[in-house]
Amino acid sequence: MRRSLIIILVVAALLVFGVIYYAIDPSTSTVLPRCTFLSLTGYKCPGCGSQRAIHALMHGDVVGAFKFNALLLIAIPWIALCLYGETQRTRNPRLYARINAPMLMWLFLVLTVLWWLLRNIFNW
Amino acid sequence: MQYWINHKGVQSGPVDLDALKQMGLTSAAYVWHEGLSDWVSITQVPELEGMYEAVEGNPSGAVMGQPYQPQPQPASQPAPQQPQYAEQPVQPEPCPPTNLVWAIISTVLCCIPTGIVAIFYALKVSNKYREGDIEGAKRASEVGAWWCIATIILGIICQPFLSMLTMSLGH
Repeated sequence: MRRSLIIILVVAALLVFGVIYYAIDPSTSTVLPRCTFLSLTGYKCPGCGSQRAIHALMHGDVVGAFKFNALLLIAIPWIALCLYGETQRTRNPRLYARINAPMLMWLFLVLTVLWWLLRNIFNW
Repeated sequence: MQYWINHKGVQSGPVDLDALKQMGLTSAAYVWHEGLSDWVSITQVPELEGMYEAVEGNPSGAVMGQPYQPQPQPASQPAPQQPQYAEQPVQPEPCPPTNLVWAIISTVLCCIPTGIVAIFYALKVSNKYREGDIEGAKRASEVGAWWCIATIILGIICQPFLSMLTMSLGH
């Protein structure tokens, strides 16, 4: 019951955001929010550029998406794998533990922090 | 005469006298055969005298307090099949949710670096689970879930308002 409610909410949110981000180009829009972290500190956060990257992806521009936010492109297959893992958590605990291995999480953390540092140093 | 045995909580039978002799029973065993109303200690069955090893102390209470009427079956009838679940490989207890999906989503999309804290809690869940500390993993899982929720609320719901606020402040 609770699970199906969450799934319905997530799918509805994805549809709404999908339409918004397909239609509006965040590069030129003044409607879509600007990153608060960037506004406050002047530094980019690991998620900066995700809106533009999603817009680019939806229009088939993978290279452009990679330039806007490389971490997002790395994260998408990862998210898909983890979502598959969630469906197997009670059915196949060993598989779940493998997908959620500490090594993989460390890898993602290191990639995130590296991306965060490098993009601010080289202005990616 | 066919005998049913309950020895150290393990029930077997029907067996005949010769087979019973080979079972290496002790005086802690219980026996039932046709004509008895309930299990009795092997020591109380005269014809089994000397077919068991005498051990000190009370006979195990395995059958005490649960009067059990065995269903004697003809020896020709095939033994009942093992229940199906006994044949499946034993699954370990599942890991509590690590919330890694939400941690990654909130890190990449929400523009607020608290998602990284959520990844740290996912790590904690996974590590504790590997150490066998299921309770600790559950606690870390709950805290991590709250970090994910906080990040998503701040990032997706509050961000537009924060954005307007910072813009109006002249940034």
